[in-house]
Amino acid sequence: MELLINLTVNGLATGMLIFLLASGLTLIFGLMSVLNFAHGGLFAWGAFSGVWFYTISGSFIIGILGAILTGIILGFITEKLIITPVYGNHVQQILITLGFMLVLAEMLKVVWGPNQIAAKVPSYLAGSWEFGDVLIIKYRLFIIIVGFVVFGIFQYMLQKTKIGLIVRAGVMDKDMVQSLGINIKRVFLYVFMAGAALAALSGVLFAPYSGVIYAEMGFEFAILAFIVVVIGGMGSFPGSLFAAILVGLAGSYMAYYVPALSLAVNMLLMAIVLIFRPQGLFTAKG
Amino acid sequence: MKNKFQWNNLFLAIIVIVLAVFPLVSDSRTWTILLTQIFIFSILAMSYDILLGYTGIVSFGHAMFFGMGAYTTAVMLKRMEPTIGVFILSIVCGMLLAALISFFIGLMTLRLKSHFFAMLTLAVSGLFLVLAEKWRTVTHGNDGFTFKAPEFFKDRMMFYFVTLICLVLVYLLLRRFVNSPFGRVLVAIRENEQRTKSLGFNTLHYKVIASVVAGVIASLAGSLYAVSLRFVNTSVLTMDITLDALLMTIIGGVGTLIGPIVGAGVIELAQHYLSGLAKEYPIFERWIIFFGIVYILAVIFFPRGIVGTVREKFWKRKTKTRPLGKEEVS
Repeated sequence: MELLINLTVNGLATGMLIFLLASGLTLIFGLMSVLNFAHGGLFAWGAFSGVWFYTISGSFIIGILGAILTGIILGFITEKLIITPVYGNHVQQILITLGFMLVLAEMLKVVWGPNQIAAKVPSYLAGSWEFGDVLIIKYRLFIIIVGFVVFGIFQYMLQKTKIGLIVRAGVMDKDMVQSLGINIKRVFLYVFMAGAALAALSGVLFAPYSGVIYAEMGFEFAILAFIVVVIGGMGSFPGSLFAAILVGLAGSYMAYYVPALSLAVNMLLMAIVLIFRPQGLFTAKG
Repeated sequence: MKNKFQWNNLFLAIIVIVLAVFPLVSDSRTWTILLTQIFIFSILAMSYDILLGYTGIVSFGHAMFFGMGAYTTAVMLKRMEPTIGVFILSIVCGMLLAALISFFIGLMTLRLKSHFFAMLTLAVSGLFLVLAEKWRTVTHGNDGFTFKAPEFFKDRMMFYFVTLICLVLVYLLLRRFVNSPFGRVLVAIRENEQRTKSLGFNTLHYKVIASVVAGVIASLAGSLYAVSLRFVNTSVLTMDITLDALLMTIIGGVGTLIGPIVGAGVIELAQHYLSGLAKEYPIFERWIIFFGIVYILAVIFFPRGIVGTVREKFWKRKTKTRPLGKEEVS
């Protein structure tokens, strides 16, 4: 039982990190039909810049804010320089965002060096609580809470505010939204920046969770995020939460019970979903 | 038109002869090895171009076929005797394996739209990487293993000739392939899949065969690569190999067969020189940045790559290359 709870908490924490990354990806895809292969690069930049701000200032909160700011700035640059020129051409989008991913990962090494960087959990989140035999690590709980809070905020914005209405309408039919006199290009930019900020937030939260950060982590995590987006349905915000938790839990249980399969299980999940339900479990338009 | 085509052939023949004579004249070991490397990656990049340039599908899993060839050859040379016979047999086995697997993967995934296909190939090649890392009894995981190359290849020059011959053969075969009616249909799929379908072609069938051809050729490149290093580890299955093929194809010129060869040459040479420069200027350690930037600029401004752009500018010939994928008018 204790074991089950521990595995669940681990899985949820990983799932939340993936969710933060995947939610931006899914919104960008739903709205702009751009599959952003550079998303992992933004994640890694969030982690490195966040840790840098954290080390400089000594405050984890400032680290998080710094990472989000970096994400917003990079999101702006990416949208303007990389996405806009190839708008509407899927093959070029895939190729160019992948190239940008490469540049982002290498730039990280230029700025912070090619070595791994250690990241510590801030003192007030370090340690764990014990309930009988159940051991709950504070930082993991913190990640889970942040994940749900972010989900709540974004869900509120999407469902209750004007901009959310526009975004949801854009996912359904962007031509219609544009013909109603809304500058959809600007909405694209905002959504892209928000997605990049979420990726960076995910990165900075990931840093103390794993203990070390390295330039290649962007790509590794981005693959998980793609899997989540496919399983959850492109453009579906709640879908990506559900799929991220599914992937997180599956990874966590498998790592314990069938270690050989732990890396493969997500790929298999995605393959099955793609073959039998290519639109994903949840659909944005449904 | 016909005349020009023959000039083309003559030009290529001269280059091949120069390359064939080269090791007899110069005894620079570095150059022999570097050129061998270029030939091998040219084969890989050409096979990638069959998918990207001719059929207009983006695969991120090309490394798995390369790795399949590399591992088949390495394992067979290690377990059996290192002779030419086994080497050839291992190439054939690698190709069969690649054909089989690319056939099934293609059948399963090529129905999907471009993004999904790209992601699924990424995931499947990820599976193969994991498999190679876990199946330690055969692959020795990430550490890899060394093996003896056939006696015949002890001399680097011999191997140089073998790769050159393979390159020329693959080039000729693929040229025949893309200029055949079959190849025309592939180009039609790239230009407009919907219309090709409505003309009565079973596009899935064509795309699957294209991916099998690409997989088989990539496997050959992998086999040669393994022998050139006399060592194999999981790095042959990583995304880096796919990225190399992608960069070479895009920078050299998509939708041509010469393009990927030029791209492979440019990238391998530049990599060689830039990593040489890195001793003096540390920034060149990160030479991949320059390629990334060149690649991004190429995708935006020169979607036809070096060869396509040169052809367009100087030869004033109506080229067969078009900017990448303008399909999907959703």
